[in-house]
Amino acid sequence: MKVLIVEDEPKTADYLERGLREQGYVVDVARDGLDGKHMALEYEYDVIVLDVMLPGTDGFSVLHALREHRQTPVIMLTARDRVDDRVRGLREGADDYLVKPFSFLELVARLQALTRRSRGQEAMQLRIADLQIDLLARKAWRNGQRLDLTAKEFALLAALARRKGEILSKTTIAELVWDVNFDSDTNVVEVAVKRLRSKLDDPFKPTLLHTVRGMGYVLEVRDEQSEDA
Amino acid sequence: MKLSISKRLAAMFAVASFVMLAVLSVAMHGLLKRELERHQSNELQARWTMYKPIIMRNDDVVHWQYVRTKFDNSISENNRVSLWVQSNDPRFLYGASLTDEQRHTMGAHGFGQVMLPGHDAPLKTYSAEVEAHGERPAVLLTVGIDSKPFVETLRAFTVGLIALTVVGALGAAGLGYYIARVGMRPLDRLSGEARGLSPGHLSRRLQTDTLAPELSELADSFNGALSRLETAYQQLEAFNADVAHELRTPLGNLIGQTQVTLSRERSPTELKEALHSNLEDLERLRAIVNDMLFLARADRGERAPNRVEVSIAQEVSHAVEYLEFIFEEAGVKVRIEGDAQASIETSLFRRAVTNLLQNAVQHAPRGAEIVVFVLQQPGAIRVSVQNTGSGIAREHLSRLFDRFYRVDSSRSGSRENHGLGLAIVRAVATMHGGTVFAESESGATTIGFTVAA
Ligand SMILES: Nc1ncnc2c1ncn2[C@@H]1O[C@H](COP(=O)(O)OP(=O)(O)O)[C@@H](O)[C@H]1O
Ligand SMILES: [Mg+2]
Repeated sequence: MKVLIVEDEPKTADYLERGLREQGYVVDVARDGLDGKHMALEYEYDVIVLDVMLPGTDGFSVLHALREHRQTPVIMLTARDRVDDRVRGLREGADDYLVKPFSFLELVARLQALTRRSRGQEAMQLRIADLQIDLLARKAWRNGQRLDLTAKEFALLAALARRKGEILSKTTIAELVWDVNFDSDTNVVEVAVKRLRSKLDDPFKPTLLHTVRGMGYVLEVRDEQSEDA
Repeated sequence: MKLSISKRLAAMFAVASFVMLAVLSVAMHGLLKRELERHQSNELQARWTMYKPIIMRNDDVVHWQYVRTKFDNSISENNRVSLWVQSNDPRFLYGASLTDEQRHTMGAHGFGQVMLPGHDAPLKTYSAEVEAHGERPAVLLTVGIDSKPFVETLRAFTVGLIALTVVGALGAAGLGYYIARVGMRPLDRLSGEARGLSPGHLSRRLQTDTLAPELSELADSFNGALSRLETAYQQLEAFNADVAHELRTPLGNLIGQTQVTLSRERSPTELKEALHSNLEDLERLRAIVNDMLFLARADRGERAPNRVEVSIAQEVSHAVEYLEFIFEEAGVKVRIEGDAQASIETSLFRRAVTNLLQNAVQHAPRGAEIVVFVLQQPGAIRVSVQNTGSGIAREHLSRLFDRFYRVDSSRSGSRENHGLGLAIVRAVATMHGGTVFAESESGATTIGFTVAA
């Protein structure tokens, strides 16, 4: 998976590069609009992360030039929470946008959503250790034992299981499970995770649903020693 | 070009007095002219009556000579007077010979005038017949007097009137300017006072008690604007202080924790722990900043851009569904009453309702019921969330929707409550052309907002 990051702020560009590289992406960085335009047109990328405010040429004109030749998916980073910027970005062919300050997890989630589209059909049966999920029948078992989950609890489990090993932020979970696309002060996700845990993990070993403090939740098999949930 | 009010007033005074004086002068002129003419006519008739007996008494050719002498004397005595006697009998004639033109302007009877060579004003004349007597046939006696003195009087008077009009108008302009300046003095004082206003003296106002009523009204409205500005300014200052305060706690935590962590060797687990903790504070900062940016959008007067026509009750039930687990944890029930159709941006609307429900569940006692009322009103749809509980004291109600305002300030540290929930509700309402309201009576608190229908 190859990503181009067009970002002039050095600290932002650096952590994005490192973070995405560690997520398994091949990362190129352009530090101004002209470089960005050149690289976006010259090389093949699976997705481009494009800052709006750039020295040289701004993000919109990079996007404009790119769209005349290529349909590479683009995520715009807008510094101001201005509707015009978002509307303009989407109208000129951006596929998604994030408003700074954004969370890194959020960016990863969006990147995956953009690139997943082209990955084809998902499996309808998921399996993690002794956990077994039937997405179609909306049923789950552990150790052969049927888990008695409510609709939302199942939706939460399915969302985590689809991205097993990926940390999902509370915002992403709220969006996937409740279709809520705004920040809210609630701890709904925490409560939901607590409930799911009581049915999924409390009666069974090993623990599958882990909290990553400050970041979110992840469903995976871990060495029992490095537990920090 | 802009004239000062004083100059403009002076010009207006000048024009007004010019017009008035001019009308007056024309009237006076007309009056004088008529009087002079009447005077002339009277004189002519008097003279005619005076000369007539001379002709009457002498009725033959011999005595006609006497008439001539008498007339000649009379004319030489008073060179303003001219006399003519016209008749069909050439023996009974008197006066300079007349052209047909002159005879015509003189007329056969009554008043007329005649232009004589060597005069620059015409002679006024009066003619009438003296009936035949003895040898003498009927003759036409014409008395003429020179109108020059009258014309000159009239001309002098006219010049005088014009001069008076002009001088009067100029005088009025000067006087008007002076009066206007005096009249404007309170205004000068006012603008001097206004110049003295500055952000450093926000509570200063213009003095209105000594002002004329017209000005004091202006000054009052100006003072009103100042009051509003002062409030806005103070809110802004308080708000900046609030923001700084809100950000200070997590920032302080971040700096302190990081310093403590770095002050000695740490195990990877400890380092990880510190980073996680930092991340929590940072997330909180981010949430506050994002909310502030959202509020700024509403402050700029932005309207909800992506509206769709939906059932309000349905949107409320979405929000209720989202908070379902929270309600169960808190042991409260939620009921929705009423419905209406409205054009709203659903994500904004749900956010507002979520905030209201979140507050309600935080303050409702276990086992209570929260009711969401949806009410169709003329021009607006009213959404309110009601919960029982300890209620809110009256003095807090009006400030509830202010940013970072919390009734119980000790709650401010908690992670979920950064005091922007109701401010966001208000922003959402504003973006939908609505308002917010809050009531708390006998243990039931109702907080809500409206959206324009
Ligand atoms: N339903 C309610 N009952 C009692 N008090 C309330 C209610 N809703 C809001 N409040 C008070 O209003 C304050 C402001 O609410 P909000 O803006 O949502 O901030 P936060 O909930 O983050 O403290 C709260 O701190 C609380 O004291
Ligand atoms: Mg709140």
